[in-house]
Amino acid sequence: MNIWDPKRIRAEFPIFQHHPDLIYLDNAATTQKPRSVLDAERDFYERNYANVHRGIYPLAARATQLYEASRQKVAEFINAPKIEDIVFTRGSTEGINLIAQSFLGPTLQAGDDILVSGLEHHSNLLPWQAICQSRGAHLHIIPFFEDGTLDLQYLDKNLGSKTKLLALSHISNSLGTVNPVAEILTMAKAKGVPVVLDAAQSIATHSIDVQAWDLDFLVFSAHKMYGPSGIGVLYGKSEHLKKMPPYQLGGEMIRDVTYEKSLYAAPPKRFEAGTPNAAGAIGLAAAIDFLQKLDRKAIFEQQKILLNYATQALMDIPGLEIYGQAPEKSGIISFALEGIHPHDSATLLGEKEICIRAGQHCTQPVMDFYDIPGTLRVSFAMYNHEAEIDELIQGIAFAKQKLGAI
Amino acid sequence: MEAPKNELYHPLILQHNQTPWRFEKKPAAALVLTAYNPLCGDKFKLFLDFEGEKVKTAGFHGYGCAVSKASASVLCKKMEGLNRAEIEELLRQFRAQFTDADEANGDEELQAFAVAKEYPGRLTCATLAWDAVGEWING
Repeated sequence: MNIWDPKRIRAEFPIFQHHPDLIYLDNAATTQKPRSVLDAERDFYERNYANVHRGIYPLAARATQLYEASRQKVAEFINAPKIEDIVFTRGSTEGINLIAQSFLGPTLQAGDDILVSGLEHHSNLLPWQAICQSRGAHLHIIPFFEDGTLDLQYLDKNLGSKTKLLALSHISNSLGTVNPVAEILTMAKAKGVPVVLDAAQSIATHSIDVQAWDLDFLVFSAHKMYGPSGIGVLYGKSEHLKKMPPYQLGGEMIRDVTYEKSLYAAPPKRFEAGTPNAAGAIGLAAAIDFLQKLDRKAIFEQQKILLNYATQALMDIPGLEIYGQAPEKSGIISFALEGIHPHDSATLLGEKEICIRAGQHCTQPVMDFYDIPGTLRVSFAMYNHEAEIDELIQGIAFAKQKLGAI
Repeated sequence: MEAPKNELYHPLILQHNQTPWRFEKKPAAALVLTAYNPLCGDKFKLFLDFEGEKVKTAGFHGYGCAVSKASASVLCKKMEGLNRAEIEELLRQFRAQFTDADEANGDEELQAFAVAKEYPGRLTCATLAWDAVGEWING
């Protein structure tokens, strides 16, 4: 296998030319953008821009063709059976809200069960919580152990005939746990329960094949896979999508409209009301091209090396505790320093151009589980390397000394 | 003690963070105010007792970053001995330094926080407890 060289790929990311000393370790929040993605968006606006699916003139036809070619690229990227199974959204959050409202909305009843992993980002908790509350359905949270792994026995026991949906993330955004998706899917499929997989944190590093996993729904965001912000993908099985009512109403999503009643377009248009973020879709396609030209396995291996290197170095710091030590982890480490608020250390690190996240990471219940107000979180991408971890460790020592912790 | 530009952690802030003013729970106090920032989770309770119109003792307890804790500490210390109108003036002085560059209140414990305006993400830490008192004053 090839060895991945993070320093070489940095040349593809203009942000590191503008900020040569930037140590960007907040990739679980969002990744930086390669030049090819930025160029694709700019090129679309400069040479091919018109509204899609509307104009008759050649420029509009070209814009539409590029937008739909992006959909095709996404379909191939996750091995969707049909291009129509790909709905462009604003991001994972919108995808999940769409499923809650249009898939569960028409059928969820009092007494039904929804199962959600306890590790979820608020975006994969609140939509289910709200719809369960409004219908009198039960929301069951799959508990997790101290190391950040899910209690699969609880899951297996609670999957039943009343379970209308199981929602979970591939990778936990705050702890980095890689959930055993194949095993969980086998359990859910045995009981005939549809599954929503949130791949926001895994799409950049893991190959996902929706047919191999027989996924009902998959959501992800472009901005965490080196693509633009404001664009994401919802994949849904045709059998589900075609039964689902629209999520928003307006232009583009119609077949026939009168003042009295309207007929809606077939998927995916039914779910894309209004002028879509076509430049975003084109940027996402460029991000897929960018990833596919690289050795993704080698990138993932490098992130494992970084994970081990950083975990070891952090554990050597007195008074530092790491939260989430699952056997299968991605390049995410959450930790806290005794006696120092995460925001104070993150501010001092920020002054040294070291960017790490501080707070609850949109996972307040996970923080409550550990009885902590928040953590510091470092998360890696293809451009990070060991010397940056060394700088981080020095920065933490500086913060501890400055803030007077022992 | 002049803090260099872009230096959030003024020595007085660090000092108040390490040895905060009346940092203890006092649920039986005449007035208990809550200062809470749901975005970061910082949460303090302020405990005020009065003698006539004036604040006799002001203390606090809770959890927050060095800046929010130190600013709650300075606020409690400064409020003691003041009536409502005087507290209102204290709040005005504290807040003015974030909006008006020429505003010099001459108080180094208040001025220690002036640099927070250079840190947009941290200004709310400096004002957290002050906003809670402001809500009480404005009733």
